[in-house]
Amino acid sequence: MSHEQTSLAFRENSVRALEDSALRAAMKQATDTFGAKRTDAFAPVADLEALRDRASAIRDDVLANLSMYVDRFVASATRAGATVHVAGDAAAAREIIRKILADRGARRIVKGKSMVSEEVDLNSHLEAAGMEVVETDLGEYIIQMEGETPSHIIVPAIHKNRRQVGKLFADRLGVPYSDDPQVLTKIARKALREKFLSADAGISGANFAAADTGSLVLLTNEGNGRMVTTVPKLHVAILSIEKMLPSLADLPAFLRLLPRSATGQTITSYVSVITGPRKAGDATGAKELHIVLLDNGRTRILAGESRDILKCIRCGACMNVCPVYRTVGGHAYGWTYPGPMGLILTTLLTGMAKSHPLVDASTLCGGCVDVCPVRVPLVDLILGLRQRKVRDRFNDPRERRGMEAFGKAVASPALFALGQRLAVAFWPLVRALGGKDVAGRMPAPAKIPLRRRLP
Amino acid sequence: MSAADRGRLFLENAAKAAAGTHSVSGTGDLPAVLGQVVAIDSPVYCPGVTELEKEAATLFPNRVSGYASAAVTVEEVFGAIAETGTLVCSSEGSRAVQAGLLPAHHVAIVRRDRIFDTLDDFFAAVAAAPPTNITLVTGPSRTADIELTLAIGVHGPERLDIILV
Repeated sequence: MSHEQTSLAFRENSVRALEDSALRAAMKQATDTFGAKRTDAFAPVADLEALRDRASAIRDDVLANLSMYVDRFVASATRAGATVHVAGDAAAAREIIRKILADRGARRIVKGKSMVSEEVDLNSHLEAAGMEVVETDLGEYIIQMEGETPSHIIVPAIHKNRRQVGKLFADRLGVPYSDDPQVLTKIARKALREKFLSADAGISGANFAAADTGSLVLLTNEGNGRMVTTVPKLHVAILSIEKMLPSLADLPAFLRLLPRSATGQTITSYVSVITGPRKAGDATGAKELHIVLLDNGRTRILAGESRDILKCIRCGACMNVCPVYRTVGGHAYGWTYPGPMGLILTTLLTGMAKSHPLVDASTLCGGCVDVCPVRVPLVDLILGLRQRKVRDRFNDPRERRGMEAFGKAVASPALFALGQRLAVAFWPLVRALGGKDVAGRMPAPAKIPLRRRLP
Repeated sequence: MSAADRGRLFLENAAKAAAGTHSVSGTGDLPAVLGQVVAIDSPVYCPGVTELEKEAATLFPNRVSGYASAAVTVEEVFGAIAETGTLVCSSEGSRAVQAGLLPAHHVAIVRRDRIFDTLDDFFAAVAAAPPTNITLVTGPSRTADIELTLAIGVHGPERLDIILV
């Protein structure tokens, strides 16, 4: 299934979301729970601010030296026996992966959760090539069955309630209806176990890549990530270039921050560190490991004024606190990444022309900045994009003309005073014609302007 | 941290992550604890490679040779991390790390002298030359993908028991 970007319709998408009471209830419950769990999880952490400083500094160093770390990763991963591919854009990544799979006759593919694979719309490309691609993360499995996209980067099916999932499983899998998450989870376990054992290849993402050892690091809870990366004989990992860490020894800071920020866990159930494919004497690992490093505009972002968004480690904490995300949910943003980090990344990756309404999807309250574990200056980045939106003339033409007129008026005291007198004179007319839609939203102009009242 | 404190902290944190925790003073006590956590006649995969595994393996009459068809895996793991209550499974020494993943019940034996204090200590020790696969395991497999309701045992084990020796 292919998913067209609908970010330009953010306003219409939001209105639709606001009318969906089931969605609003699910969003409220989920984001409240996440927020509370996150707070509890960080409570016992001493020196949290120092930990955030350290993680932030490591991510700064990665961005300052990204091409060096990517080169180092490619060399180390190759030395460890992996084949590394660099994909300039989404189309290149899709084609590299299709070819790896097709050349080896792989037709049955099991997939772990990967937002980067969503970004490049990998599944539809592989399905068009006649391959069966099964999402194995429970949330992804649910939305794949429904033909939807993730609405949250950590819990992709956050917008669905248990009754909707129960009905979906009953319809599609022919199992008796249940709305018990425990029962539904066991149904998925059974259905997917067969897929794991018969798969020709596994596709995964990665949370981090250690440049010094060429290792991929995956944080998971369900165990599907472990299945995908160790059970089939071929493992293909796709990740974006900024997932680098200088060294595997840098990982602990991120293991302390990412799960707590994402789900309120001290650590995820599983952390897999994969260094190359299975070697002589090994009894673990895919026989062949291919790593696809995706650029897709990141090198360009790195050279620009919004580069700090690339520090992001995809924990989702910023969306859970965002008043806009909490109200409208992830689908309204119309592309892969929602919430504060998502609106920034979407605008940068897909271009202002395809996404400019998103830069207004923020109250600038700064809640996101407070919770970001790696200190991404999200509000500054959003303000920067708003300036760019105006500069690139994507703002409303009426707003533009109004601001131009206002600019001229404030530059001339005489013109400004005239405007003030006209405003007072015409106010009764404006109020009569505009009704409460206009007059109700604006304060009445002062009879005596402030500047004349000041000494 | 003293060895006793380290062991205590490890078990305490592992229990918080919903692992079953057991502690024995020596190899001699291992059979009694294994008898409590595993039905003796169940199909058990036990590699039988390390001394502790050899000791454990003799208890189970229905050992299976492949972990994919086992109900339980009983194995000694590489080590543990006290800070997070985490088991360290490693592919080093021809170990099949996925043996602790496929069966519904994973029984991990850890030697007391193999506990690292913190994540930093562990990664500092392995970062220079990591084996093909290191998997940190903290509690059983879980998800909260449906209404953020915790469900245990998705694709990995629904039960994890740790025996500290």
